[in-house]
Amino acid sequence: MHPGVSPLVEVEDLYVHFGAARAVDGAYLQVFPGEVLALVGESGSGKTTLIRAVQGLQKPTSGEIRLEGKTQADHHDPRVQMVFQDPTGALNPRQTIYDIVAEGLRVRRERGDEQDMVKEALSRAGLRPPEVFMPLYPHEISGGQRQRVVIAGAMVMQPRLLLADEPVASLDASIRGEILGLMRTLVDQTGLAILAVTHDLGLAWNIADRVAVMYLGRIVETGQTEELLNAPQHPYTKALLSVVPETKEMEQQILRGEIPDPTRIPAGCRFHPRCPLLQSGTLSEATASRCVADDPGPVALDSLTATACWPVMAVTGRTPDA
Amino acid sequence: MIGLGILFVFVFIALAAPLLADIRELNPVFARAQGNPQWAPPSEFPPLGTDYIRRSVWAQFVWGSRVSLFVGLAATVLTIFIGSVIGIVSGYIGGKTDGGLMRVSEWFLVIPFLPLAIVLASILGRSIWNIIFVIGVTSWPSTARLVRAQVLTVKQRLFVDRARSLGGTGWHIVSRHILPNVSGLILANATLAVPISILTETTLSFLGLGDPSSASWGKTLEEAFVNGAMIRNAWWYFLPAGIGILVVVLAFTLIGRTLEEIANPRLSRER
Amino acid sequence: MSDALLSVRDLHVTYHTKGGPVPAVRGVSFDLEKGGSLGLAGESGSGKSTLAGSILRLLPYGTDIEGQVVLDGRDVLSLNPGGLRAVRWTAGAIVFQGALHALNPVLTVGDQISEPMLVHKTVRTEKQARSRTVSLLGRVGLPDNRADSYPHQLSGGQRQRVLIAMALACDPLLLIADEPTTALDLMVQAQVLALLADLKREHDLTLVFITHDLSVLTYACKRLAVMYAGRIVEEGPSWEVFEDASHPYTRGLAAAFPTIGDLSSRLAPSGLGGDPPTPANLPVGCPFHPRCPLAQDACMTAEPGLRPSGTERRAACILV
Repeated sequence: MHPGVSPLVEVEDLYVHFGAARAVDGAYLQVFPGEVLALVGESGSGKTTLIRAVQGLQKPTSGEIRLEGKTQADHHDPRVQMVFQDPTGALNPRQTIYDIVAEGLRVRRERGDEQDMVKEALSRAGLRPPEVFMPLYPHEISGGQRQRVVIAGAMVMQPRLLLADEPVASLDASIRGEILGLMRTLVDQTGLAILAVTHDLGLAWNIADRVAVMYLGRIVETGQTEELLNAPQHPYTKALLSVVPETKEMEQQILRGEIPDPTRIPAGCRFHPRCPLLQSGTLSEATASRCVADDPGPVALDSLTATACWPVMAVTGRTPDA
Repeated sequence: MIGLGILFVFVFIALAAPLLADIRELNPVFARAQGNPQWAPPSEFPPLGTDYIRRSVWAQFVWGSRVSLFVGLAATVLTIFIGSVIGIVSGYIGGKTDGGLMRVSEWFLVIPFLPLAIVLASILGRSIWNIIFVIGVTSWPSTARLVRAQVLTVKQRLFVDRARSLGGTGWHIVSRHILPNVSGLILANATLAVPISILTETTLSFLGLGDPSSASWGKTLEEAFVNGAMIRNAWWYFLPAGIGILVVVLAFTLIGRTLEEIANPRLSRER
Repeated sequence: MSDALLSVRDLHVTYHTKGGPVPAVRGVSFDLEKGGSLGLAGESGSGKSTLAGSILRLLPYGTDIEGQVVLDGRDVLSLNPGGLRAVRWTAGAIVFQGALHALNPVLTVGDQISEPMLVHKTVRTEKQARSRTVSLLGRVGLPDNRADSYPHQLSGGQRQRVLIAMALACDPLLLIADEPTTALDLMVQAQVLALLADLKREHDLTLVFITHDLSVLTYACKRLAVMYAGRIVEEGPSWEVFEDASHPYTRGLAAAFPTIGDLSSRLAPSGLGGDPPTPANLPVGCPFHPRCPLAQDACMTAEPGLRPSGTERRAACILV
């Protein structure tokens, strides 16, 4: 898929535990330059904790995060920038747009003409003409414009990777398309990579090249967007897709209960208590008992298409760490 | 607005003191030499009569305003400075530092103020600077706690996360994000702390701990009381100072409350 | 028309703010027959929440309301306080968004569900209230012991179920659901929608479902009305409106919910430029024209009314 190209970011064997709560419990992930990877999951899946760890806002309990091959130390690397879920909260109400966008440059003491760089970033983010916006305060512009300011503030640092935490969830639906389009344009123009965390499968369909599905601290399935969303393998992914109102021709599989507490992760395959496949009784005894007793393990670091599920692996012959 | 108006008047009086009253009038020797009567009501000795050692009450009022206002403001500056620094450090750093500092502040809060102030004043001696010091050192805890609470709230805001993700260090975050969003509260608190400082100075002076060489409203009240102005019904002696304190305190309180109203909706507004 | 459970006629709601009067709803009319389900879709500033509040007159004191809201034969807007209390919760009830602040944090969930029963004297003793509460909890899929929990001890999905149980406490005829699944996870949302569908069938409820998520409405409601700038700009059967919108705004809004598997939206996010208008500052003419890809000169001067755009469909656009 990406022959010869080395990954931009590698997350290896990442664990982030908050006391007894195992928010991220063995996650492996790769993001390649110029691609958009959608990390999909519900709340409690650990997806937000994972990208906060990649950004440097959260210290991992163990595991490695590598950027362009080198392990990340504690400090924040300007090559990785973040776009936040709540654009209103992410902007200091007492700073002007100019100062907000310039903040990253000032913190890093970047060389170069600050004003030019800010103007360019604002233009790129679709706020034109930039001079009009620079003296304004966050409360004087709309929600969509605020998110563009956040994006400009990230782009001004010329990042290689953009981490987006539910980038359009707080925005009005009719303007989401524009912001998503902007993100895709930035990828095409600059060769940027984006790791977008979301619960919205439609977003993944709209802008992602690859999708990784997260459940209870682990990635349980990953693959190319079209393949994964049109023909999901993992029972959890199947169930999620079936309840998305926009998906047609799929019988709804509404799972019972909610994602278990991260302090009480089920034994065996962590999804087994809610697994419709297991409950259907169509599995062989051998496979079913494996689901209950054995942990299929996380999806491996360098597998671009994999599913951590015993019945699936029995069929495809693949193990997650192959 | 009313508050500002009143304040303006008094600041004017304080600053224009030399123009309004001769400072020599505060000197009893001079007063005697002038031939001032004792205990003269305003009808005899305008504008505010004389006291028990023939000094012009008006002169005391005018010059006393300087001391009262100055001590009030200076002590407040000290209180706010100590309180804010400790509040910000405590709130931002958290952990054991926070715990330790808060225990210290609790110690100060628990000890009854007046005995502590009296003890300190007695040890340090009676001078304006010591009074300022005493007030500052004993009043900072409430400011500190208020500021700390606000810092804790601001620390949670997403834009602080953003600043950290951009690589901001503690100093950057505190100066550019925490402080601007806490300053409104600090200002409002400061404005309300001034009257408290003024009243504290008045109390200390009234108890005889004030600076013997300077005129302050508290001192005026003390001398009036001690020398029997109440019994003599020499209202012109104690009323001006008393009303002066009342009105100045009122002015600051009005301003402070308005500032609080302005500061709060802005701080909590999310839009 | 006469068997409509809820009939809204030419409703105008204007808030009075420091900056002047703000028209949140500007002439909305619709009928809802008993047992039917109507979805109200809209974004911020559309007036949908105001509309929901006005059905039971739950708007801030001093708000100007004009028009008619007839619920179960009674004109809600002209009832006296006693009559209004009688209507609230017994004829129509609201399910709010299940955020933490929709429930009183210092009362148990059971007490809060029992409260309307006792206030409206649907039951006579506390014991009866308790047993009815427990059965309601069971109906919404929560175990009995949850009655003694406090709101903060429950998950978002569970709180939403509690709010549904509370709304059903006095057996209302009409259920108004105001953004009940926003902020819930995909799977929990599906659970809550399925629950609402079941309850609707069991109790023969009439449902008004308000949300910004157009795709959810296609699943939850038979008919759908799209609101923009305080007015209904399109209405019709849900699936038809979603799949094949007549009004350009609906088309733009529907594009925000791409169908998975549809190649035309693959790597092609589409949306509308500009921002939804603020009610205090509406454009002259058709309020959508600044953002409309098909705007003409006439759109800038006159605001079009609803006109037929298909079988049982209407849209407020001159191009229809």
